Amino acid sequence: MSNPYEVLGIAPTASAAEIQSAYRKLAKKLHPDLNPGDKSAEEKFKEVAGAYDLLGDAEKRKRFDSGEIDATGAERPQHRYYRDYASPDQSHPYADSSGFADFMEGDDAFAELLRRSQRARANQRGQDLHYRLPIDFAESITGANKRLTLPEGGTLDVKIPPGLVDGQILRLKGQGAPGAGTGGPGDALIEVEVLPDHRFTREGDDITLELPISLSEAVLGGRVRVPMPAGAVTMSVPKGSNSGTILRLKGKGAPRRGGGQGDQLVKLKVVLPRPPDPELEAFVAGWSKAKEYNPRGREV
Amino acid sequence: MDKQEFLTHSGVQVQMLEFWLEQRWLIPEQAAAGTRFSAMDIARARLIGDLKTGFGVNDEGVDMILHLLDQLHGLRSALAQLRKDMGENSSPSAQ
Repeated sequence: MSNPYEVLGIAPTASAAEIQSAYRKLAKKLHPDLNPGDKSAEEKFKEVAGAYDLLGDAEKRKRFDSGEIDATGAERPQHRYYRDYASPDQSHPYADSSGFADFMEGDDAFAELLRRSQRARANQRGQDLHYRLPIDFAESITGANKRLTLPEGGTLDVKIPPGLVDGQILRLKGQGAPGAGTGGPGDALIEVEVLPDHRFTREGDDITLELPISLSEAVLGGRVRVPMPAGAVTMSVPKGSNSGTILRLKGKGAPRRGGGQGDQLVKLKVVLPRPPDPELEAFVAGWSKAKEYNPRGREV
Repeated sequence: MDKQEFLTHSGVQVQMLEFWLEQRWLIPEQAAAGTRFSAMDIARARLIGDLKTGFGVNDEGVDMILHLLDQLHGLRSALAQLRKDMGENSSPSAQ
């Protein structure tokens, strides 16, 4: 910041009363809320206010005069001014049209234009408000009731329909900003973010799950528990199932738009015992001598 | 935000707020759950604070300034709407 004495236009010998008077004179002219159309007012006002924060305080002024502190860091923290909220494209309860009411009374084209714009504003619908809501993968399949805490205070109850996908937007009618006149309130638009679940992937209405099975379950078949987004089911693994075999659980996927449900696809993955079992090694060594086969076919 | 949150946020004293509400310098929303203050109300309260303590304006002066400011913003809104209407009605003809 430049020299605060120069900013306020006063001599270094100025009295406290002179400083205050110089500040008030400038600030009244430069305050952003008293200059709604002047974009540069905010910067200028900040400088004047910063200079006054320094020189208007006898203690700080003494330290500045003795060279103990300089003018940096004297700026006021940034905040939004009233004019930012009263900007022309927003409807608000403080708007007052009495400043041009007489212009609207005429029967010329200008008066008609003004009347029309006034009607448009008087019955303006409230703004739509945008929010983001993260939900679990399971909740996206089964649906859920969530409560959203709003940044401006208050809460909003949101019903998550079953089968919703990541990025989908829910519109809550009338839950946005209040409107003016007969305009009615805007809507709340909630973008739903589905948090990933390391077990499941979703493609369309089908949900895929990779299910580890033991060697004996693969060779001999058996009944295994299969986790689902909500709960679990028991499924038969047929004899001689390989890694990569996909079993289909009909109607256990995500709800379809317009009725019905997708499938859950269970992709099997044969997992050998850990640590390796010497007995199994000895058996396979003896067994494979007689029954050698090449699963890679002839190409490799 | 409710009244308590507003007082904490704005640093306004409770008696002062009562007076400002009485003067209708602030018009918070009246919801079913009680009085709700917006970020705009906070900014307006800050402006009133600047006028009174920063510039030494008395209550009559504040009342007058707010009234004129509201008219100025009303005019700015009307101008902006006019500009929008004119933009819609007189789109440049395609060459």
